[in-house]
Amino acid sequence: MRFLRQAPARYALVLIVIVFFVGLPTVVTSFQSSEWTQVLIFAIVIMGLNILVGYSGQISLGHGALMALGAYTTAILVHRYSLDYLATIPIAGLLTGIVGFFLGIPALRLSALYLALATFALAVVTPSLIKRPEQLTGGVRGIELLPPQPPQFVNDAFTAVTGTASMTSDQWLYYLCLAIALALFWLAWNLVRHRPGRALRAIRDGEVAAAAFGVNVAGYKTLAFAVSAFYAGIAGSLYGLSIGYVSPDTFPVSLSFQVLVGAVIGGLASIPGPLLGGIFTFWLPIVSNQFVGSQDWIPAQVVSVFKNAGPAVSYGVLLILIMIFAPRGLVGLIVSGYAWLQGRVRGAAERGTGHAPPDAQTV
Amino acid sequence: MTALLELEGVHAGYGQTRVLHGVSLSVGEGDIVSLLGANGAGKTTTLRAITGGVHWDGSIAFGGRSLRRLTTEDVIRLGVAHVPEGRGVLTELTVDENLRVGAYLRRDAAAVARDYDRVFDLFPILRERRHLSASTLSGGEQQMLALARALLMRPKLMLLDEPSLGLAPLVVRRIFDVIREINQTDRVAILLVEQNARMALELSTQAYVLEVGRVAVQGPSSQLKGEESVRRSYLGY
Amino acid sequence: MQEFLQQVVSGLATGGIFASLALALVLIYNAMGLVNFAQGEMAMFATFLALVLIDHGVSYWIAFPLTLAIAFAGGVVIQRVVIRPVERAPVLTLVIVTLGLATLVNGMAGFLFGYVPRSFPSPFSAQTVNILGALASYQDLGVIAVSGVVLVLIYLLLQRTTLGLALRAASHHPEASRLLGIRVSWMLALGWGLASAVGAVSGMMAAPILLLQPNMMQTVIIYAFAAAVLGGIESPLGAVVGGLIVGVTVNLAGAYVPGVGGDLQLAVAFAIIIAVLVLKPNGLFGRAAVRRV
Repeated sequence: MRFLRQAPARYALVLIVIVFFVGLPTVVTSFQSSEWTQVLIFAIVIMGLNILVGYSGQISLGHGALMALGAYTTAILVHRYSLDYLATIPIAGLLTGIVGFFLGIPALRLSALYLALATFALAVVTPSLIKRPEQLTGGVRGIELLPPQPPQFVNDAFTAVTGTASMTSDQWLYYLCLAIALALFWLAWNLVRHRPGRALRAIRDGEVAAAAFGVNVAGYKTLAFAVSAFYAGIAGSLYGLSIGYVSPDTFPVSLSFQVLVGAVIGGLASIPGPLLGGIFTFWLPIVSNQFVGSQDWIPAQVVSVFKNAGPAVSYGVLLILIMIFAPRGLVGLIVSGYAWLQGRVRGAAERGTGHAPPDAQTV
Repeated sequence: MTALLELEGVHAGYGQTRVLHGVSLSVGEGDIVSLLGANGAGKTTTLRAITGGVHWDGSIAFGGRSLRRLTTEDVIRLGVAHVPEGRGVLTELTVDENLRVGAYLRRDAAAVARDYDRVFDLFPILRERRHLSASTLSGGEQQMLALARALLMRPKLMLLDEPSLGLAPLVVRRIFDVIREINQTDRVAILLVEQNARMALELSTQAYVLEVGRVAVQGPSSQLKGEESVRRSYLGY
Repeated sequence: MQEFLQQVVSGLATGGIFASLALALVLIYNAMGLVNFAQGEMAMFATFLALVLIDHGVSYWIAFPLTLAIAFAGGVVIQRVVIRPVERAPVLTLVIVTLGLATLVNGMAGFLFGYVPRSFPSPFSAQTVNILGALASYQDLGVIAVSGVVLVLIYLLLQRTTLGLALRAASHHPEASRLLGIRVSWMLALGWGLASAVGAVSGMMAAPILLLQPNMMQTVIIYAFAAAVLGGIESPLGAVVGGLIVGVTVNLAGAYVPGVGGDLQLAVAFAIIIAVLVLKPNGLFGRAAVRRV
């Protein structure tokens, strides 16, 4: 990826991506915009998860539960206390962040596997815990949220640009999520670029060595938990707003699993990873069903099997295959693919000039 | 007559780092051969190559049969015992269980029972500690256990990696006496990697000296022992 | 007092179910340092296979061992095909693989057998018998007995046979075991097969009570985690003791602590997990971190 290491090329790529996302709702339907909103929400929680898993090396199978906390915070504040929904978003983030900090403290003592176990148990228990305080959470029925309407000036700007009659709530939500995603991306990027990022990477690669170098291991690890929870809380809040209601069933264990998988598949400890992860998480079930349905050579019985059991079975199979063949995720795949190509090009060049490739190092 | 173990032009290494650059050596049936050299010369890597613990190029043959593409377990099952650096004692198991694992591949129960008695005669401490966890043994005792276990395997060839490491001189004496006895009584061939060159040369008939992954000197041990220049440059005494 | 004893016996029975699944988890943890998140789903699938056999007229006491054999084979196949390629991968990859496996098995069960809960026969009658003045059902006693037999058999296999010795050696010291001629890779497969069979026992004991459907074991596995963690994740004995303790505790909590219903019993298990991990991470019978050589 050498050309991408040069700043101008990299910034150009980022600019293209931003332009794509900003322009998207102007060319697709409102419903399609709402689909991409989900992608952005996933990208947000995966950004946070990336900091925790990819940079500080801690596993969490419980981030769905943290999203639930963010979502319910927003729902309760809006529904029972009539707060403006916009104000509840940062509150949800901060509250979840604080909870994440307190989760991070006992997490310090757990090895990777135990942490996975503990967070998994948390994710399983969370729906039950939500159902209990019925007065507050609405119990099994959950809480409904009215779709947020765009502010007047935004509506006017949008209709002026696109020529449509008015901006839908879905489109407004899309832009809200996009703005927040960009801001949070910028925040994460800076965190990773500077000392916290270096400290976390040092911790991930070897705690003992990092401590010997004076890195405050405990501090940074809990910080990573808190920050990733903050992201999850905001994502959860947006999730609730975009769906229009929250209930214990909207946050099953599989959600926690899906976002972790999204983080890994996208590519841990990478910048584009969370976006790729978000795309993967949302689009895979939809695309795979459509793809299989459209292939003529697959017999009809197989297709119907696939569509019935398909989502779970194909998800599981795909996951296993990816972990076996591309454990570094999509970004890793792209990087190695590029390196392989480079190797071929260089090899061909050298064969042309008759120089032998450099010898293996000897000890 | 082909030797029991024959290495020819063996290159081996770890990833990008090449450690052996064309090592050739042979061990005849019933021989004791020592493999000497400084730290990092490639002695352990040579043993690892033989039992498939590291990627290698070239030719390695045991009993006339090529070891290419064999897994570690397969090489062992051909009749090779390898006592690695650190002894490979199974510390989660008892002393007795360690020995039983040594006899894992054997089918002749009566002979195994006799070998048990023999092992306990050679190393009485093992009989004392029989049902205790192997982790309670001292370094020297663990070395004895590893050797006893190798004996129980009834191999044709034993690869010993630095049996004297970290042990008191008296213990080392005892270990080397047992090694000599195993070789003489059971006609087990031995490839001995050692930093303690003096003792190794006393014990072995042939010797190879490795330097930076190549055989620098080879010959009968008696000769190398006598040649002062060799001793000074390669063996440090 | 009678009621208390009854709850305890009942708790021991559910504890037996947890203990079996926990033992399966421990067996695999010992083999490869990872907790198999798919253990419950594999147990559920095996139980469905048993139901298929029974529906086709096979008697229970033939279907039972037959299912164990099939589960054993399935475990071996899964280890060879799915786990071996990622054996040396970091924990995160392995966690995702086993979770992917869980999703896959659950989906397959859903497709093949549907989501309608099915009843599963129990070989024990529902009648009760009087012990020390308390009423205990044959069902509960039967579960305790079967779990006990399975656990004892596993213990004998591991501790008293050469094969068990090789399995233990390969589990704790894979490299050193290779140098002793043990086919470590096949020992790991054996471990998976055994774990799968033991898990199947758990499934077949749970099904009469919980009703057989693809999500049946999803809560049981949390209890099994709690049991394994409480007992010490490396210790088979710990899994058994842990299972019994968790079973009894959860049962008593459900009966005597106000507000703790079916849902929140799960929270009790969660609380146990957290308490153990925070206070005594090695559990009751575990030891400090094992170094694998």
